[in-house]
Amino acid sequence: MIEKILAALKESGVEQYQITESREESAELFFIRRSLDMRRIKEIRQAEVVVYKEFWEGENHLMGSASVQVQESFSQEEMAGLFRDALYAAGFVKNKFYELYPGQTQEARAVSDGFGGRSLTEIAGEFSGAMFAEDREEEVFLNSAEIFATKVTRRILNSRGVDVGYEKNRVEGEFVVQCTAGQDVETYQDFAYDGMNTDALRQKVRRAMEMTRARAEAQSAPPAGEYRVILSGPYVKTILGYYVERSGSYMIYPEYSSFRQGCDVQGGDVEKERINLTLKATVPYSAEGIPMKDRRLVQDGKLQFIHGGNRFAYYLQVEPTGNYAGFQAPQGSVSLEEMRRTPCLEVVNFSDFQMDELGGHFGGEIRLGFLYDGEKRIPVTGGSINGNILDVQKKLVFSREMQVEKEFEGPMAVCLEGVNVAGI
Amino acid sequence: MKVESSKYLSQVKPVLLHLRDRLLEEYPYASILASDSVSKQYTVDKNVTSANTVGRLSGRGFVVKVYDGCGYGEYSFNEITEEKIGDILEKIKKEIIPLSGQLPEGVRSSVYAMLEDQPAVFADSTEYEIDPREYGDEAIIRELARASEEGRAYSEKILDCEAFVQYQKYSKLFLSRNKDLEQNVLWMSGGFFVLAARGEEIKQSYRGFSNLGGAELLTKMREGVCDVAKVGLELLESEPMVPGEYECICNPEVTGMIVHEAFGHGVEMDMFVKKRAQAEQFVGKQVASELVTMHDGAAAAREVATYFFDDEGVLAKDTVVIEKGILKAGISDAQSAMHLGTAPTGNGRRESYQRKAYTRMTNTFFQGGNDKVEDMIASVKNGFLLEEPSSGMEDPKNWGIQCMVNIAREIKDGKLTGKIFSPVVLTGYVPDLLKSISMVSETVRLGGGGMCGKGYKEWVKVSDGGSFIKARIRLG
Repeated sequence: MIEKILAALKESGVEQYQITESREESAELFFIRRSLDMRRIKEIRQAEVVVYKEFWEGENHLMGSASVQVQESFSQEEMAGLFRDALYAAGFVKNKFYELYPGQTQEARAVSDGFGGRSLTEIAGEFSGAMFAEDREEEVFLNSAEIFATKVTRRILNSRGVDVGYEKNRVEGEFVVQCTAGQDVETYQDFAYDGMNTDALRQKVRRAMEMTRARAEAQSAPPAGEYRVILSGPYVKTILGYYVERSGSYMIYPEYSSFRQGCDVQGGDVEKERINLTLKATVPYSAEGIPMKDRRLVQDGKLQFIHGGNRFAYYLQVEPTGNYAGFQAPQGSVSLEEMRRTPCLEVVNFSDFQMDELGGHFGGEIRLGFLYDGEKRIPVTGGSINGNILDVQKKLVFSREMQVEKEFEGPMAVCLEGVNVAGI
Repeated sequence: MKVESSKYLSQVKPVLLHLRDRLLEEYPYASILASDSVSKQYTVDKNVTSANTVGRLSGRGFVVKVYDGCGYGEYSFNEITEEKIGDILEKIKKEIIPLSGQLPEGVRSSVYAMLEDQPAVFADSTEYEIDPREYGDEAIIRELARASEEGRAYSEKILDCEAFVQYQKYSKLFLSRNKDLEQNVLWMSGGFFVLAARGEEIKQSYRGFSNLGGAELLTKMREGVCDVAKVGLELLESEPMVPGEYECICNPEVTGMIVHEAFGHGVEMDMFVKKRAQAEQFVGKQVASELVTMHDGAAAAREVATYFFDDEGVLAKDTVVIEKGILKAGISDAQSAMHLGTAPTGNGRRESYQRKAYTRMTNTFFQGGNDKVEDMIASVKNGFLLEEPSSGMEDPKNWGIQCMVNIAREIKDGKLTGKIFSPVVLTGYVPDLLKSISMVSETVRLGGGGMCGKGYKEWVKVSDGGSFIKARIRLG
């Protein structure tokens, strides 16, 4: 398909372009209780072509772009017509000039070979085996689950010499655990692994079952008031994700974020723990063909660099790093047990937890929490928390216990002081 | 004007019919959904202008569904020629069908009957006034640029103003032994995001627009941007909410979020199949005030989720979900309906040909009542007018409310005081909120600015809304 696209680009007079050709295959299993409800296979091949147009308007040097999606079923003439239309559209997209990422030709790389050459259906089968291996009880069980084993083969090339590619396997999915002991309740979990981490999935299912059983015992919402709040599990990623987002060139260039290289991301006068973050490369090349590697983003609270794609990096005159999907944080200073010794509310499951990266507001409805009064642990459900990271970031405390979550590795819990809880 | 058929689908239809016939030689039931979709999103803000295809809403592709006498399997692909038919048949036979024989210990295959395949042949299209492709990139970008500039010029405290629109023109064919359906649909939606800043503090305000149709939407958007900028500035003066239960007036957008997130997801009947929805136990019972009547359906309104048949070839309907406070019926895809022994309601939708069909909402709303909005506000002693829903999440199992709104305007002794509280989390038990509804406005408004996910994926276009409602709601 690439040859046909290149010929059509030439025919349509396009000089600057980026082509991303993707082949996606998947084997998908959908379960209700212990029954396979639907099985699916997918095979898709398509390409996204971005057409660029460099032009001047008065003294303004501009770079317009427009994208189109094409498939093998498109004829060369059809493609050329689409590219001509895109080139025309790009003439009205008046963005400040930038250069495309300059690159080189690299051999296509295979990543995540942790699947040991298994087929997609074998991978899906083994992960479903791991999942159901933990489904052994009567009162707490897997209500439903979905497993997607996928293989993506990608080739990225542009008119400035980039020609790279990679192949990546992944397994991802979700499951719902239901408990009918006492109240009839459920919890939702999702997962993603780049290798045969069937043990990690088993552990996740086991933890979800314990959590769901605890939720069935929870009778009411916590009393309304201001709390020391411990957030554990995936919500630690959401809290730390605020700093990753704020340090992106796409936030800094338009001045949505005031972060600068070397700035103190927690605003100075930090009373407790300083943040450390490392961006993790989950693919060998970014969407623009920029080689990806692990990079220390925040060291002892100081921002080491601004990350992001080619265009805003060009505007800010910083190195383009590509856009990262995953990040890592080191363990904290306090054990979870110590955190729970003084009165607090630990929330382990929200129906949905939102963080506004622009204003710093976070909040969500509590599906399962535990009130610790120094002696007892009381399960609670209902009510909501409502806070702002700017108000709590100087006194963050992270747990020594670690977790591996979807695209995150870091402390199991973070403790926030003075958070409003709307309860009973 | 009527939306045109896809030339590509017309071209490949003979091949698809041949594939269907070959499939029916081997399987008692087989269907093919073919789609050809074109979409584009235009965005203009302070630093960025873009005119791009939306990957999720674009592309040509097919999904074959077969019944092997026990259960169902599907194959999604996007290349077809006469020569490939043999490979497709082989793939289904060698890779999909055997999947049910490779299950973990103790896990079996669901046993389903064969889907009903009532004869139906038709082709229809929605209507539009202005084709966005003919209106042109230049004119669309010019209008958005003007709006963005106007929003930014409103005040020096406005950090940015993003103006955007997107459209999707799709054509679908559904072919089975007894069905030959074609539909062609065009919708367009858009909006303004305004960011207002005071030091480190940034507040955002949003307003969405949508229509079943084309670029005539831009006319509706011409007057809106300064209102959004004004709200952005008001939000800079907002205070945090004092948690408590209050008398609230919800505007149609907030009503839409409650209808959709808090209640609508709970009547998606694939959740009944999984025993994940409390609503199943409440069919025929009172779940809301008798002032409440709720609809869902691709045929219930003319908005972005209007179509003629769903992705399983079931004709679109207008389902009355709640009638005068009584839960009458849920909505369903074909397979869930078969499992439950009910009639499918035309709500089997896929994100695209690449994904599985689930029960999904379409146009979901509360019917209008008899009250005037000014009387509703005047009736509140101490409460809030809630506006600008920002996010919501379903909880069908426990009917817990998880919704956030951007604006709570204080009402004291029947008058708006001008004070704003933000952001605000709505919590509580859904039937408690719905039963507390004591006034419903004559005014009804639907909006389809956003997309709806099933959990955290499977995004489809929906509209929701309805009337202003007065209810008691726990805010935090």
